Amino acid sequence: MTDNASPPAPKSAETGAGSQPAPVPATRQLFRFRGTTSKVVDLYVGIASFAILLALWSAATGLEWVQPQFLASPLAVVLRLYDLLLGVNADHSFLQDIGISLFRVGVAFGLSAVLAIPLGIFMSSYRIVNAISEPVVDFIRYLPVPALVPLTVRWLGIGETSKIALLWIGTFFQLVLLIADDARRVPREYVEIGMTVGAKPRSVLRHIILPAMLPSMVDNLRITLGWCWTYLIIAEIVASSSGIGYVIQSAKRYVKADVIFAGILTIGIIGLVSDQAIRWLHRRWFAYLR
Amino acid sequence: MPGASQPFVAIERVSKTFQADPRTPPIAVIDDISIAIEKGELVVFLGPSGCGKTTLMRIVGGLETATRGRVLIDGEPVSGPSRQKGMVFQSYSSFPWLNVLDNIRFGLKFRDDIDAAGKERLARHYLDLVGLKGFEDYYVNRISGGMRQRVAIARTLAAGPDVLLMDEPFGALDAQNRDFLQAQLDVIQRSEHKTIIFVTHDVEEAVFLADRIFIFSARPARILEEVRVCDVLPPERTLEHKDSEVFFKLRNRILGITRAQALRTEQLMMGGNGAP
Repeated sequence: MTDNASPPAPKSAETGAGSQPAPVPATRQLFRFRGTTSKVVDLYVGIASFAILLALWSAATGLEWVQPQFLASPLAVVLRLYDLLLGVNADHSFLQDIGISLFRVGVAFGLSAVLAIPLGIFMSSYRIVNAISEPVVDFIRYLPVPALVPLTVRWLGIGETSKIALLWIGTFFQLVLLIADDARRVPREYVEIGMTVGAKPRSVLRHIILPAMLPSMVDNLRITLGWCWTYLIIAEIVASSSGIGYVIQSAKRYVKADVIFAGILTIGIIGLVSDQAIRWLHRRWFAYLR
Repeated sequence: MPGASQPFVAIERVSKTFQADPRTPPIAVIDDISIAIEKGELVVFLGPSGCGKTTLMRIVGGLETATRGRVLIDGEPVSGPSRQKGMVFQSYSSFPWLNVLDNIRFGLKFRDDIDAAGKERLARHYLDLVGLKGFEDYYVNRISGGMRQRVAIARTLAAGPDVLLMDEPFGALDAQNRDFLQAQLDVIQRSEHKTIIFVTHDVEEAVFLADRIFIFSARPARILEEVRVCDVLPPERTLEHKDSEVFFKLRNRILGITRAQALRTEQLMMGGNGAP
């Protein structure tokens, strides 16, 4: 954690590292109420839980607890995924489907973020903006996205626009309220420091509110990005001829359980990787919080 | 006091009422307070928690508005926050995303009366003044609470305010740190000659720091008494003064006033079923 080997070592007054009783081993800490954390132990446990899941899955298929058309074996899924990625027995590669799905999520989520961040900040800064937008946003936020599919198809056709619009609706209205909350939670003191050193509202927004809210905003972007993937699959299953969701949907029609699982696995991996990547960036960018 | 000369900070018959909900009667927070503060004076507002002393200080700072009355600084009525009135808060007093030096630089960021080189020189000067040389690159979450408050003081001074408003700035510190910072504030005030309004509920802190103490009543705030510490203690103080006979006597006299007041408030609450 502290890799600062600079001049006089400051001692943190807050962390009262007081008298400690006999140390409890890291593995035992796992079972204590609010026990202390160990990254290494957590990692091993995480790997173990994946391994157990995999073992159960293998057993269920290998010992034929479940019919293969309902549950493909892990090996079959991995092999199918390999075939799909190489484009064997298909008119186009699964990589293209992944690409188109990534593109849809990227554009829709980018558009949501670019619009939600300024609007959210202005909602928290000016009561008039909040009074106008919050009731509308709150209403639309509760509309179930799948219910809007017929409308987006009717209005925007079956092209990319309707899918991106659907994803955008699913994320923008959630995100804008989360961002507004992030901005609202910036301590009043920070804003008042700005005003008493001569900063105008513009500068307070740029130099105080934005940096102060940034860590929690990045967290909220990470969480809503996950939701965006959920809506993507809905959009692609209902009305599409490409994308990971489409691959899953058409596999269902031909009872290819291995393809369905390969599709789901792909989404899981993309989600896990992007989530961990953002967490890693969060730790790097906001190291000053620790 | 010569009647003709105008005080540097004039709090003129300020009253404040709050009304959180239109269905409830408004709550009186400050009741007709007038205080005149001379340039370079350190004045302490002493009173129980929630008595309205902080609110009065925030009105001086332009962060809140008075319901009646007004505040003049150097003859000009206060109409909002500005660089003229610097604030030091108890918590969230410095920015965690900036290091120590950048926090101090922030106080200079919006000054257009000095050039970049002058700003850099001033930032270093105040870093040095609060004794944080060697800690420039530390983020504020990595330093102690006392050091964080020194960062806040340096930043506020760097902005070049006419009046320094300090809202229980040492309230969250341990006793040793508080002692140290009080002594350091005394040194800083002698070198910078700032007019300071200091809010606290700590009687010892008030006596040690103040030229004059204004003892506030419970809500709605009124001035119970003005104590001229400057008449019995020298302007320059060291921690040894805290052990002196004069200091003890003054502290005990003020404690007597505040205790009697607390007792009366309690009796009022018990007897009158909470009604004012």
